[in-house]
Formats: sequence, C-alpha cells, structure tokens
Amino acid sequence: MSSPGGPGGALSTRGGPKRNKWALELSLGSTRSRGDRQNKEGDVMYPVGYSDKPVPDTSVQETDRNLVEKRCWDVALGPLKQIPMNLFIMYMSGNTISIFPIMMVCMMAWRPIQALMSMSATFKLLESSSQQWLQGLVYLIGNLLGSALAIYKCQSMGLLPTHSSDWLAFIEPPQRLEIMGGGMVL
Amino acid sequence: MGWSLATLFVSLRLLCFTAAVFEDQVGKFDWRQQFVGEVRFAVFDTNSQASKKLLVATEKNIFASINSRTGDLLWRHVDKTGPEGHIDMLLLHGQDALVVVGNGRILRSWETTIGGLNWETVLDTGSFQSAAFIGVQDLVKYVAVLKKSALSLHYLSNGHQKWVENLPESNTVQYQIVYSGGSGQVLLLGVVPNSHIVIVEYNIEDGEIMRQKSVAAPWITSLQSSCVVVGSGVLLCADLTTQSMYTFSLQSVEQTNMNQILLQTLGLEVASGFQPVLISTQPHPARPPLSEFVLQLGPDHHILLQLNDELISPLRDFNPSFLVAFATTGEKTVTAVMSPKNTTVSVDPSTCSYFLSSLQFSLSSNVGYNVVVLYLDAKACSINLYSADTGRRLLDTTIIYHKDPNGGRPAKLYVHAFLKKDDSVGYRVMVQNEDLVLSFLQQPGRVVWTREEALADVVTMEMVDLPLTGTQAELEGEFGKKADGLLAMVLKRLSSQLIVLQAWLGHLWKLFYDARKPRSQVKNEVTIETLSRDEFNLQKMMVMVTASGKLFGIDSKSGTILWSQYLENVQPNSVFKLMVQRTTAHFPHPPQCTLLIKDKNTGLASLNVFNPIFGKKSHIGVPALSRPVLQSLLLPLMDQDYAKVLLLIDDQYKVTAFPSTKNVLQQLQEMASSIFFYLVDSNQGRLSGFRLRKDLSTELIWEVVVPVETQKIVGVKGKRANEHVHSQGRVMGDRSVLYKYLNPNLLAVVTESTDTHQEHSFVGIFLIDGVTGRIVHEAVQRKARGPVHFVHSENWVVYVYWNTKSRRNEFSVLELFEGMELYNSTVFSSLDRPQPPQVLQQSYIFPSPISTLEATLTEKGITSRHLLVGLPSGAILSLPKMFLDPRRPEVASEQSREENLIPYSPEIPIRTEWFINYNQSVSRVKGIYTSPSGLESTCLVVAYGLDLYQTRVYPSKQFDVLKDDYDYVLISSVLLGLFFATMISKRLAEVKLLNRAWR
Repeated sequence: MSSPGGPGGALSTRGGPKRNKWALELSLGSTRSRGDRQNKEGDVMYPVGYSDKPVPDTSVQETDRNLVEKRCWDVALGPLKQIPMNLFIMYMSGNTISIFPIMMVCMMAWRPIQALMSMSATFKLLESSSQQWLQGLVYLIGNLLGSALAIYKCQSMGLLPTHSSDWLAFIEPPQRLEIMGGGMVL
Repeated sequence: MGWSLATLFVSLRLLCFTAAVFEDQVGKFDWRQQFVGEVRFAVFDTNSQASKKLLVATEKNIFASINSRTGDLLWRHVDKTGPEGHIDMLLLHGQDALVVVGNGRILRSWETTIGGLNWETVLDTGSFQSAAFIGVQDLVKYVAVLKKSALSLHYLSNGHQKWVENLPESNTVQYQIVYSGGSGQVLLLGVVPNSHIVIVEYNIEDGEIMRQKSVAAPWITSLQSSCVVVGSGVLLCADLTTQSMYTFSLQSVEQTNMNQILLQTLGLEVASGFQPVLISTQPHPARPPLSEFVLQLGPDHHILLQLNDELISPLRDFNPSFLVAFATTGEKTVTAVMSPKNTTVSVDPSTCSYFLSSLQFSLSSNVGYNVVVLYLDAKACSINLYSADTGRRLLDTTIIYHKDPNGGRPAKLYVHAFLKKDDSVGYRVMVQNEDLVLSFLQQPGRVVWTREEALADVVTMEMVDLPLTGTQAELEGEFGKKADGLLAMVLKRLSSQLIVLQAWLGHLWKLFYDARKPRSQVKNEVTIETLSRDEFNLQKMMVMVTASGKLFGIDSKSGTILWSQYLENVQPNSVFKLMVQRTTAHFPHPPQCTLLIKDKNTGLASLNVFNPIFGKKSHIGVPALSRPVLQSLLLPLMDQDYAKVLLLIDDQYKVTAFPSTKNVLQQLQEMASSIFFYLVDSNQGRLSGFRLRKDLSTELIWEVVVPVETQKIVGVKGKRANEHVHSQGRVMGDRSVLYKYLNPNLLAVVTESTDTHQEHSFVGIFLIDGVTGRIVHEAVQRKARGPVHFVHSENWVVYVYWNTKSRRNEFSVLELFEGMELYNSTVFSSLDRPQPPQVLQQSYIFPSPISTLEATLTEKGITSRHLLVGLPSGAILSLPKMFLDPRRPEVASEQSREENLIPYSPEIPIRTEWFINYNQSVSRVKGIYTSPSGLESTCLVVAYGLDLYQTRVYPSKQFDVLKDDYDYVLISSVLLGLFFATMISKRLAEVKLLNRAWR
C-alpha cells in the first residue's frame, strides 16, 4: 500500500489527490510518470523531446571489455574456487554415516550435477567473452572436479558399491547337481 | 564420547536380544498340554462323596491327580525315567497315597489333595514283590512291603519301620503275596514252582514267625498270576492244565492239602490256551476280601462265582464280556461288565437258574453286593452294573460306550461307584483303550472327558500347511484343471466367481449374526471344515506320530486334536519315519503324507499313506515290501500328480520307487546318475555311499569304516531339505566377503568312544561329503563324553558334549568357509571341488546340561538364526547363534566391531528372558520341531516330550509385522487431523487470495 517513495517535501501535494475523489490532469504523459515527476520536480513542465534519463553512451570502451572478461572468468572459475571450501567441509563432516554428512555429500554432489545440466545457460552468459571456449572448459573441469570430490567422499564414507560385499545379496544360491539322502540304517 | 557410544552400543545390543513375552501375551501365541502316559494304576478317591480326585500312576513314572469332572491335571509328579523311577505299586488309604518306586527302592506317602509329600523312606535293597495295607480291628496302621528276601512293616503315619524280617529259605521260595485279613497277623505266601506253596504267619507286633507250613501244589508256577485270597482267608487258585480250581483255608490248622474243584463240575470250560484269571476284591484293607470273585475263562468270557464253605457256586455268566471290574461304595460292592451292545447277554439254562436263585437270595438279604459287567464290540459297548453278591443286574445302570472307529479296543476299566440320594448305586467309569485314550463316562453314556495319553510319547512329527479356503481353492482349481473349450471355461469362471460371491455374503451374514451375540459366546471353534490357511501361514497342521502307533492331526494355533488314527499291529519297538510327499500347494490333488513303519524284530516295513489334513487313509496302492527296508529317500522329483518320489532301499541294496508310475521310472532313469544315497550302520561302524543305476539297482561308490572297537557312531545328520540360505557369504570388517561353504551333501557324523574312562573317552566329529565320501573335516574332542547333541545347518555344526576333565557341558561350533572367492557360483557339484574348505572352531562353556538341540528355520533364511536348547528343567532356551561364532575375536578390533562380533568369552550366559516358554515348563523334552511360517521373521516351534508346547519365535524380532501395541488410534488421528488441517488451510488460503485479488 505504500506509495512510490517520495521524500518528505511531497507530503502536502500527495495529500491533495488523496483527499479528492477524483482529479483531472490536463498535462501530457502517463499518470504514473506524473507522480514521479511531481515528486521530483513538482509541477515543472518539461519541453517536448526532453528526457530526464541520460542517454547511454553506446560506444564500447576498452575498460568495459576487460570487466566483461573478468566477470566471465569469475563465472568460469566459480566451481574451482568452491573446491577448497568443499574439502574443508568434507574434512569436518567425517566419515560416519549420519544425517548431516549425508546431506552435505548430497549437496556437494548435486550442485555440480545441476551446474552441468544447465551448461547451455552458462554458455549463454559467457557468450560475450572472447575466451568463451576456454572459460567453458574451465567451468566444466571445475564442476567435474567437484563431483569427483563428492564421489570420493561417498567412497570414503562407503556409500559406493565397490566391494564384493555390496553385491552379495544378489548372488543366487548355486544349483545342486546331485541328489543325496539316506541316514542310519532303520 | 567413546564411552557414551559404547554404552549406546551395549544398550542397543541388550534391546535387540530381549525376546521375553509381556504379561498380556501369555498364551496368545503359545499353548501347552500336559500328559501322564499309559495308566498303570488308577484309584478313585472315594473318601468323600464330593471328591473328584482320580489318582493315576503311569508307565512313564508319573504320579498324578486328575480332576474327574474335567479331566484336567490337579497336580503331577514326574519321577526319573527308566527303572529308577518305575512305580511298582499305588495304594490309597484315606487322604494318603502310598507309592513304591524304583523296584522297591523308595516308599513314599503323598497327601492327595495338594500333592504334597508326607514322608519318604528308603527301603532295603532287594527286588520288590508286593505291598499291602495291614489293618488291625478296622484300623489301618501299617503298610507291609515284601521284597525278595525280606518283609518290612512301616507305620502309615510317619513311614518309620516297625520291624523287618528276613524270610526263611528265600533262595528257594519265591514269596509273592502278602495278606492280612485284619485279624492281627500278616500272612506271607510263597511258592516253589511245580512243587508246593509256603505259608508263613507273622505277628504284627514284633515280626515273630507264628506259624509256618507248606502245601503241595505240583501244578503251580506263580502265585501272582493264578491265585487270589477270597472270603475269610481262603487261597483260591485256578489252573489251566488240570482245568480246575483249588482252595485252601489259610487259617485252618488241620488242612494239609488243597481242595480240587474241577471246572467241569461247575459246567465251565476254559478257552483253549487261555490262562484263567481270577479277580477278587477287598473293599476295606482291615477286613477280609469278599467271597465273591470273577473268573475269566477266555478273552471275552467272565463268570461271577461265589465261594461258600469250600463250595463254589456260579452267580452269573457274562458271555460275551470283555472287561470286568469291582467297585465298592459304602457297604455295597458292584461289578461293572462291558459287553458288546448289539448282542444280548446270552444266559444258558443252568446260569439262568442260578440267576433266579440268586434273585431270591438277594431279596432275602439286606446287604446287596452288586457286580458291574462291560461288553465290547466293533461299534458300541454297553456297561452294566451287577450286584456283586447276587449277580443281579441293577436297573437303569447301563452306560453306552461308543467306540471311536479310528481308535483301539478298550483295554482297562476303572469304576467309580457312589451312593445316590435314594441309596441306590450310581457309577462312572474310566476306560483306557489300547491306543491310550482315557475316557470318563457317566450314565447314560455321556463322555465327560477324554485324554489322549498317546501324545506323551511323540516319536516324530511334521507340520503341513493348511489348505486354502474353499473359495481360494475354487479359483486355484480353475487354473489347475485342463482347459476344455472356451465356453466351458467361461462358465467355469462364472460359477467360481458366483461361489466366491456366495461365500463372501455368507461371511458377511455370519459377521452380522455374531455381532448380536454376546462376546463370550462367539468362539472360533476350530473344526476340520473351517480349516483354512491364514494370511501369513502361521496356522499349520501338526502331524504327530506316537510310539503306540497312533497318529494325530493337531491344529497348531489352538492345540485342538482335529483327527486321530490308530494303527493296529504296531510293534512296541518299531521305527517311524514320516515324510510329506505332496504339500497342499497342488490343488486339487490332496496333500499326502507317508509313514514308514519298520518292525525292529522282523525288519519288515510297511507304508501308510494318508491325507495329513483330514487324517483319511489314502487308497493309493503301496508297493509290497517283501524284504527288510534299510532306509528311505525322498527325492525332489515329482510325478505327474506332484507327489514327490520316495525311494526305499532294501537289504540287498535294491531300490523300490513309490509312486512307481511310468513317468516316474522314466525320470529316475534320466536322473539315475545323479542320485546318491548313504547308509550308516552303527553296529559295524560303516558308512557307505551308493549311486543309483538305471535299472534301479545300486553300486557302492565309497565306504568309510570307523573301527567299532574304539568308537561308535551315535548320530549322523545332513541338512534339512527345506532350509534356505539367503546370504552366500559373510561380510568382513573391510567389506570383503568370506564365502560360506554351503555343501548340500555334507554330513555331520558324531562318534563316541567305547572306552568310557574319563581319561580316555573322546567324542569325534567327521564332516563327510555324502556323494564322494570325502572326509572334509575331522575333529576329536579329547576327555569328552556323550550324550552328544548336535545341529547341522547352513555352513556350521554345533555340538554339545560333557567335558570329563573340567566336569562341565561344552558347546563347540564348527564353521566352514570357502574363502574370499567362490569356486563356482552357479552350480554346486560335490564331484568338482578341488579346494577343501577353511574350518574354524571355537568352544564355550554352557552352565546347564541339555536334553535336545534344534535351530530355528525361516522361509527365506534372511532372519538370523537362533538355537533352541531344551533344558532338563523344562525350559526352552532361544540362544542367538551369534554367541556361537568361531570368528569371535579374543581382543575386539575395529574390524571385528564393524562386523558386530562379540569378543570371545568362554561362558555362554543363560538369560531368563531367553526362555521362550517362560514358566510353561515342558517336562522331559525329547525333541523340538521348527517350521517356517509365511512371515520371514517368524518361526513356529513345537517342543515335545512328556508335554506338548507350541509357540512362535522371532529371532530378529518382528521386523515385518506391526507390534501388538501399535498405536493405531494415535496414528490415524494424527493423519486425520493433518488431512483436515490441510483442507481448512487450503480453504483459508483460497479466501485470502480472493480477497487480495479484489483489492
């Protein structure tokens, strides 16, 4: 219900339309922008063709390009930067199987997978960069490392079916080839 | 941290072993039945009119009191088995029952109301002959015990010995009868066979010999079988060879010869070859016996006679009559006679006149002695009461006894007579049949109770699944039958659906009908008609074979006997083997059990085929077994009717197949090369293995000889055919697998040394492959002695023995492992096993002797195993197999903890909560039978011995069932609450959204 935030000085003017049931404005422009203008500039009328927003400078500058590059590298290196943090969490959570380590491992495994799933979206982000392919590769490697770390954690927690004991339940009892019976002489 | 984890671990462990029942679970899943066995002596307590005690002493060395109104046991004393506890004599006087135990070893006096011991005296050695009350002037104060060479007199009040006297010439004279007519002396009767009778008279006060004389009797062999004392001290003997009776007055001074009375002169004739039997009665021990007695002339011919001044006169002829018994109440003595019902008592003219004269006699006399007579027949018998002193039949005293068509013939008759309000004699009888059924009858033939005492000696048993309900079976049957046209199939389906609908409506109607009745009246009576498998197959049919040759079908849930069948002509020392040839799974073919009975004396065997659910004898032709049968073998092969094939091996090692249809013979020919069997001859110490040939002959392929001079084979056990092992290996701490050596052909053979000296005795255990004869493992336990109990299952053998050096019972466990790799994971062949298994062994101390050992069994073998140990105290202990694990480490390591191994400790504890039968002791437990149920967690257990006990065990707790006290109300109310909360909040959210949209 709060009206678009006007500074204290607009209070009296804002109170005006509130008191009236209706008001008619004969000036040009939308009623929405009117409020803004009213708040900022009061009842000053602008000349036709005047725009109070600055027109952006569309000419590409060298510094911006560097910024974009930097930004894209940030995105690409993000997963790699997380690895030390993950290592620390792994170390802290230990190898016991309980709810928190499991949750952490799940998070650790899920995030890279999610990132890999949305690879195309990331590529779109990196579109503007000149080193798009290299960054993409770094991003991929970072995520793969993250998931490898998660798998390693699973392994050290014993959650991976890598031992013969994990497949024991699936071994069928062997079929017997001979039929044998008998006993003490009755 | 570590400490708290350890406590948590321990408490968890304690939790998972607690298997005791709660108070409200008592009798919910279990039942016990107590028995006494074949009755040897039975006495009715006639002390007071309202008394309902029946005292019995049995062949099983049990002295018990039965409530004669209900048939329940009031109390029971179980003595030692064997001759040591044998009950020689039971005498009842007032409230005290005197029992002579162990061939005259101990004399005990029991208080009969509560079964407490009054006193006990150890008697001098010597084989027991007889015992009798000695009365003086209508008072019974002493009991005389006659041994082979001594006579002793004891006070009734405290058992103290009054005097003991050695008998004169006891090495030549066999003293057999002790008699007192209440006149102040003790008369002792002895015999020198085929020569003379010796009579010795003792003074009651000091045991001095008053008189001694001998009477020539060249025809006599034994006093006990052919002589009685009747009347006022007249010895009466009956002899077959001379066809006559002899009388001799014991009191007279001048008489030197026995009076001979030819039976011909009485118009009597003894059935050929039948030793005549005399039955007399002495209503009060301090008074002389009656002068009336019964003479049995043939298996079904009795005659009531009277001795009058050395003259014998017949009172009444009972022909035919099977059993006769005397009973006394007040001043009246009666004779009960059992006779076949449909034949009238044939009275020939001579006895008729006697009958008339005795009638007049009884009219003139005030005191009437009555006699009861019983007749037997194929279908029904009538029991009648006769006045003992006249032979007159008492009016309205007939009891009709309907014989069970599947039971045996009546063998013994016990009469309980009482005076009615109008001073006439009423009576009840207890009949013991050949098949050990005790039935208690009252007029006019109502069976008050029956007891199946044959169940006190169960030899073997099986549990059979119950059939599906009629409707289920109907649907199953539809698919079981052969297809015959589309229309017929449609019609069949429609009709079966109609039947299902009808059954469901009937069920609904029954529910509605029962709901109106008070709760106590709605009883789920189990009858053969209502039998059906329950949801989890927890209710089964117990087929029990008893030593007397009676078969029983018992409902495992309630213990109700649903059918019984008596097999006649079963020799007392026969061997039984029960096999389930066809289960209930093959509808519409009926289930089929086969009982192999082998007579030990002749070696010949017979097959009995019956339906285990209904107990009906099957009409399938059984093969004639002309040669002695050595063993039988139930093959997993089936004929076209789904009956498993039974092979019988005779003494020439030829094989007979049953059933032996063409189909079966063809299958046998195909399979012959892979069918093996083994025979263990304990007498010759030989184990031999045979292979079947195509022509059903056999060839010997291996033989192992255990020298009989040093050791004797006491037992051999293979694995149970219905055992499943779910896990093929054990997971180690490092998560590798140690594979089990699961050889289905492995045999555990236990031997005991013949030398029983405690330094040299030993117990040997051999693990032998039954196909190849290879000895897989051999262990000798030195300084150990039997009896050895053992269980062989999965990949382990557990055995119990007595350690003679340390004087304690020890458990030893052998476990076999194949190693870290499986040799062949798809098929198992004993012929292709290059590596021997690894064998691990550990021993433990068990703080109690044991009577029997068995392992639990479950459907799929996932549940952990427990050992069921029957203890002599009557408890059944459920011991986790976990405690008997040879991999238990001496020092716990990280890996062993991971594996859940308990560190080794030599003692196995007995925790009282492991007793699965809480306070329901099972006396003399002889065997435990385990059977899987439909629930993986549950194993059905039946312990048999003197008593029967049935229960369920849950070795890994009930992981697949909700608990009894599961809070359904809480859970459903929470669910409902959440449901309504969701509905309400959904509605509220909608309202709120709508409001916001309006704004």
